[in-house]
Amino acid sequence: MSVRCGQALNAALHEIFERDERVYLLGEDLLDPYGGAFKISQGLSTRWPDRVLTTPVSEPSMFGVSAGLALRGYRPILEIMFGDFIALGLDQVVNGIAKFRAMFDDRVTVPLVVRTPMGGRRGYGPTHSQSLEKLLVGVPGITVVAPSECHDLGGMLGDAVADDEPVFFIENKLMYGRPNRRPEGGRVDELSCVEGEGRYPALTFSGNGFGRADATIVTYGGMLPVALDAATELILEHEVFTEVVALGRLLPLDLEPILDSLGRTGSLVTLEEGTLTGGVGAEIAARVQAEAWSDLDGPVVRLATRDGIVPSARSLEDEALPSVEDVVAAVTALERVGS
Amino acid sequence: MLTREDANSESALLSEWLVEDRAEVRKGQPVCVVETSKASIEIEAPGAGTLVQLVGADVEVELGSSIGLIAESDGELDAAIARLADTAPPPAQDDGPRNVTKKAAARAAELGVEVGLIEKTGFVTVEDVEAFAAAQAAPEPGETDVVLAGLSTENATLPSIFSLADDAGVLDESFLATLRQDPASFGALSSEDRCDAYRQNGARIGEGVVLGEGTVIVAPRIVLEDGVTIGGGSTIRCEEVFAAGELTLLGDLFRLTCRRAFIGAGSWTADRVEIGGGGNRDPWATFVLGELGFIGSEVFVNVCRPVVIGSEAFLTMRSVLLTHNVGHSVLEGFENRFAGIVLEDRAQIGVGAVVYAGVRVGREAIVVSNSYVVNDVHEGTLVGGVPAKPIGHASRPPARPRQVELARRIVDDLEELFNLRGMETAPLTDGLRGFELTGAGGPGRVVFLETVGKGAAVPGGDGETVVLTLDATGEVPRGCAVLDLLGRRVHGEGGVLLDSVRELCRKRGIRFEPGPWRYSGGLV
Repeated sequence: MSVRCGQALNAALHEIFERDERVYLLGEDLLDPYGGAFKISQGLSTRWPDRVLTTPVSEPSMFGVSAGLALRGYRPILEIMFGDFIALGLDQVVNGIAKFRAMFDDRVTVPLVVRTPMGGRRGYGPTHSQSLEKLLVGVPGITVVAPSECHDLGGMLGDAVADDEPVFFIENKLMYGRPNRRPEGGRVDELSCVEGEGRYPALTFSGNGFGRADATIVTYGGMLPVALDAATELILEHEVFTEVVALGRLLPLDLEPILDSLGRTGSLVTLEEGTLTGGVGAEIAARVQAEAWSDLDGPVVRLATRDGIVPSARSLEDEALPSVEDVVAAVTALERVGS
Repeated sequence: MLTREDANSESALLSEWLVEDRAEVRKGQPVCVVETSKASIEIEAPGAGTLVQLVGADVEVELGSSIGLIAESDGELDAAIARLADTAPPPAQDDGPRNVTKKAAARAAELGVEVGLIEKTGFVTVEDVEAFAAAQAAPEPGETDVVLAGLSTENATLPSIFSLADDAGVLDESFLATLRQDPASFGALSSEDRCDAYRQNGARIGEGVVLGEGTVIVAPRIVLEDGVTIGGGSTIRCEEVFAAGELTLLGDLFRLTCRRAFIGAGSWTADRVEIGGGGNRDPWATFVLGELGFIGSEVFVNVCRPVVIGSEAFLTMRSVLLTHNVGHSVLEGFENRFAGIVLEDRAQIGVGAVVYAGVRVGREAIVVSNSYVVNDVHEGTLVGGVPAKPIGHASRPPARPRQVELARRIVDDLEELFNLRGMETAPLTDGLRGFELTGAGGPGRVVFLETVGKGAAVPGGDGETVVLTLDATGEVPRGCAVLDLLGRRVHGEGGVLLDSVRELCRKRGIRFEPGPWRYSGGLV
């Protein structure tokens, strides 16, 4: 049976704890038998009772204490139960964690990892369904990593803990229960998949062995299955081939895999679960038009959640969030596909 | 039964079963994963027995409802299965393989192809269905098909000389025997004497054929059309036929050994090219080079199986085509491969690249230098690396305004080149893009006109007038030579100035018909 993403992360945490005694885990309701709301920390408090610190419901102090541990040479991992609540700790991030290294002239580092699930589609309503990583992408001095269900989740979490920079490790609620679909023999299902080099690599998918294709769909995290389903539907229903780039890292933005794919396709669609305005797609579009204007056959198309709140009712939530149908419609509407 | 796990949920998602339906389970063994708004939890078996799943995975389940039964005896198991049969939805329809596109399925139905028989990793498209149908329709390789051993020539245009009459150029047998016995003394004769001897003994040798010093062709059938030139020190030995189309230019030390060779009109090879290698006498050893083909120096082509190169394809210097490998025993699991190679029209193989047996390089695809190609290359793709993988598009067609700009730049580059060679130029009087050669090399003029048709205003004067255009529609004006840059045709006659322009265009990749590859007589 394939390993689920939640299990992969849990196993990785066990390995990381075993490997490095400087690693601490902080967060709400982490202790066994509960083991965290999504069970990612299960078993850790039993094996390492001194290094798993269950905290009061106070994000500002959780960020503050974690930053203090990091400044003193520990490798803390902070679990924020729902990504929506990073907002409560953002002052610590924006005015402290992201700046300490520069303000103290490189004499300190803040090797902190903040793990948190984002995303909707569970009917959790306006304050438990958001994708707020776009707020973090505007904060210089931190690294924002957003693995998908096809990434090496354990390896990336290990790299984040080993990273000397503060890393936000953005997970997705739906991902936890889904299989960790690692490429096998260069494929995920019917699609070819190429993994980039180095830490937090991007994955690029193609339905025709990286031959000529009509568009690149760039996405990350929990939106990858939507993009892959759309790419598959475009092939099966319309024989329209696209490439899908699943970024591993959002900040600093990993532009190279996007430009590489764009060289083969000429059109770009960005796909994210955060709201549209000021989103990650806007940043990608701006960078791409500056770097590869001549490779673009038309304007970059941005797909994102409608500006506004994420509704509680599942039917309304489905309408607000980008769907497989939205992606298929956006690609088939491209001039080069239509003609 | 699904119990309440937190206060604010009325239902939960049964995200995954951890054990198979009807599996034996222990008490306390986790059997499924359930997700609520606050938690993702594993449900444990309340007792030991055979598990019967009542709902599938990925289903939203109301809290308090039963999701499975554990049967402790065979009687309980039968009862549980009976209960399941009452509630279970009908089994899902099998809608065929999930990797066949709708268009491909429709095309398969049209062609009467069973899609299930198409073996492919990835998606099956209309193209795959059509290729499969064509392969099914193709005759089994037999004696008649031995020349190309069943290789598809789709997108690889065979040279006209390939369809040679069976009795063309048949050599007198005793003459052939003396050639085989003593090629050296024959090679010592002058070019004219050798051509005459070939003609007298049945070979078909055209006008203006030049055979370099010491060059000998030994083959039962020899056809050299007008203007063929073969460089000095060349050895050509074919078991059946050697044929070269008009204006073919083969460089010095050209070594060719195979059963049949067909070299297309207007093709060009540099020096020290070798075609042959292991298995060159095999029944399938056929070498076909399309018209306007290009082979760089020190290229090696192995031909134990057919090698078909389409028109205007490039094999640049030191590239290698291999139609078989050398290895250890197949019975010990080592690869043993003998297969032909096809380069489709306008394909390009980079410097030092190696193409392995069985590979087909698609039309207008480019293999970058030093690559090792083991898989087919899609049409129009740029591939590179060891092994070669797609990198991007081989070309990106420019829009019309860009084409105009590029054409104008060719005229500017030509003027600059003339100036650097000490020739004087002046602008054209009526504001046209182009120049007039006023001193040495002149008089003459080169002009770019986006469109040229009947009655177009073409600047005149003494000497040659060469017009470059993107669009030669209908009849072209008299008294000048018109180079249709997109149609790649020359209209009208010219001299040294036309040759100069053609030579510069050649360096921009624009070759014109009719005519050969190179223009040594030009001013550039």
